[in-house]
Amino acid sequence: MAISSLLGIAQRALLASETALGVVGNNIANVNTPGYTRQVPDLESDPSSVTAQGVLVGTGVHVAAVRQVLDPLLEKRLLGAETERRQQGAVRDQLSALASVLNELDQPSLGDAVDGFFAAADALARNPGGAAERETLLGQARTLADQLQQRSAAVAALQRGTDDAYVAATTRANDALGRIADLNRAITAAEAGGERANDLRDRRRTALTDLAGVIGIQTVETRDGAVTVSAANGAVLVDGGAVVHPIALREQGAGLDGQALHEAGLADGTGGFIAAPAAFASGELAALAGVRDGDLVAASSDLDTFASTLIGEVNRIQTNAGAGAVDLDGGSTATVPLFGGTDARTITVLLTGADAGRKIGAALSTDPGDNQNALNLADLRTRTQAALGKATFSGYLADLTGAVGEGAARARDTAQASEALQQQLQNQRDSFSGVNLNEELSNLLRYQRAFQASAEAMNVANQILDELMSVIR
Amino acid sequence: MTISRLSDAQSFSLLAQRTGQLQVSLQTLEQEVASGKRLFTPDDDPLAAAAATRARSALAALGQYGSASGFGTEVLGAEDDALGQGEQVLVRAEEIATQQASSLLSPGERAAAREEVHGLLEALTTLGNTELGGRRIFAGLALDTSGAPFKAVPDDVSTYDPTTAYSGSTQAFSVKVGGASSERVRITTRGDAVFTSSLRALKDLWTALDTNGDTGGTLTELAAARDDLATERASVGARQAELIDRTAQVKGLTLDQQKALSEAQDADLVAVIARLTQTQTALQAALAAGAQIARTSLVNLLQV
Repeated sequence: MAISSLLGIAQRALLASETALGVVGNNIANVNTPGYTRQVPDLESDPSSVTAQGVLVGTGVHVAAVRQVLDPLLEKRLLGAETERRQQGAVRDQLSALASVLNELDQPSLGDAVDGFFAAADALARNPGGAAERETLLGQARTLADQLQQRSAAVAALQRGTDDAYVAATTRANDALGRIADLNRAITAAEAGGERANDLRDRRRTALTDLAGVIGIQTVETRDGAVTVSAANGAVLVDGGAVVHPIALREQGAGLDGQALHEAGLADGTGGFIAAPAAFASGELAALAGVRDGDLVAASSDLDTFASTLIGEVNRIQTNAGAGAVDLDGGSTATVPLFGGTDARTITVLLTGADAGRKIGAALSTDPGDNQNALNLADLRTRTQAALGKATFSGYLADLTGAVGEGAARARDTAQASEALQQQLQNQRDSFSGVNLNEELSNLLRYQRAFQASAEAMNVANQILDELMSVIR
Repeated sequence: MTISRLSDAQSFSLLAQRTGQLQVSLQTLEQEVASGKRLFTPDDDPLAAAAATRARSALAALGQYGSASGFGTEVLGAEDDALGQGEQVLVRAEEIATQQASSLLSPGERAAAREEVHGLLEALTTLGNTELGGRRIFAGLALDTSGAPFKAVPDDVSTYDPTTAYSGSTQAFSVKVGGASSERVRITTRGDAVFTSSLRALKDLWTALDTNGDTGGTLTELAAARDDLATERASVGARQAELIDRTAQVKGLTLDQQKALSEAQDADLVAVIARLTQTQTALQAALAAGAQIARTSLVNLLQV
């Protein structure tokens, strides 16, 4: 074996160690980079050559590839888990906000306003001629109407917020689609020579995770390194370097505040809208649409039912001409209802002005001190209402609180479960693909030693050559 | 899951996750200790939240039933006093009727007796117009601004007609002492129903004295009128007893509801403080373990 080949071996070993040290250094540098996949140098021995003596001798080492330590199956499961986590997380956040809006445990609650109104009716029944009692009843009626209006507006605002989040999520999804297509192009170009564009792949994985949070996706990697992304209904979203169907938005239906809500679909080549509900059946968009069009509408409708029943029942008693309801001045209240409006958004107190209190029909006769109709009004507190599912007014609110709390609690538990699953998969991924500094430091030592030894081999070759030269001299 | 290899990101994220969870628990426990409550939003415990809402509303209603019972007891008490005094008025009238039945009395004594009966008529009218807090208790609790229900006895009693003396409310006043619309207790009786027979008996006695007639003949009527007052007084007493019963019942129910409310929303402070201490210890341990992870790096051992 020629001495010069020893020099060549040492030189290639130095280069290989240098490369390996670079890979280790890169791993250490990226120890805290989110989504980074650790890389390992694949060292491969150089092909042996036949010496003059006819024996096969190795010719050294080279770095065949820098490989990412990755489990593709685990990556796919992580994308699915991310879709589920973001979906359940969004449901939890929205329902928790709804539970706060309809929180009957906070003071002042709607239930307190109802109790206050009926307490004022009781007080009026004890002193039907009292100006203070009459004003108090009207004041409590206004408080109750205000509370209902505020809650109705808060639910509508929540729905608007949910729709805004829906629109923002589609923007994020389109941004992710664009990044995936760009990275597909870059990866295909970079890997044309057979190398692996590891860092570009990490970035594409991050973009895929972002997209998977918004809508459920399926991915297939093609031979050129690009990833084809399709929606849950099979529609191709990204093919190679092009976004085939970006996500489009159109206005669809009106919200609780009367403004338009949005629906996501797929855009065709000419920018037209293709409705594809099946494509948006999972992920954050599905969650937001579900809460926006389901839970929030139901909560608002429950408030409206409550308000309309209250308006109807109180006015039925106030305007009870058949029984002879009269105001403090003996005038019939048949055409003088107490509440106006038809639902929680529009409820108002119609009796206003200086002598509004006198207009309350507390009596069923013109006899001074008659409290019979005030007693009828006070009776409403405990009367069950068919329109409220045979509950009393207060009972209905308690049921509503329980139901909303139950929904929020269930959403929280489901979200916790899906977060735990995602975390478990993420731990598996980190365990397999994450950087361990101790491991990298020991690799650093390993390749440093190899580098030093290769340098020593070069030194030895040099000394041998020196000695050979001295023989010639 | 078996972890055979731990990345640095993983060990720190596990630490951050664990300490984060513990800090959230600590914050919740501190809030419970500070407020004494365990319910903050309905999703903390939906069933308890519904129960607490129900109990609060039941307490508000019970408060009103309690007030109504108290108010009714007060009004009936005033009626009882007035009726008692009315009976005394009639007892005195019966005495006068008995004395004046004797023919040995002089015309002057008869005139004096007639004036006293006039006074008794006025006294009974005043009792019929009794006010409580500015409201007429024998006129459906109408405000005194609507005028006295019994008109005053004129100086010339002969023109006085007891049957038309009452012009007050014809309504009986009831208070609501329970949830059902049938749970009402009548706390007033129309003044004319109570006092007209007494006023008529007194007027007849006055007429007998005025016309030098037989006052002994009015004794039966006076006794019957006094019986009417006694009967009404017994009815007032019965209703008063019912309201006192109700008040006691409301107090009992209020205690029950307060207990239900407390069970639904109050924190068990002993348990909470024990858990608080436990969680603080766990957090300290997690942080200490975290510091240990940072210390066991190969970096520390490779320094030359």
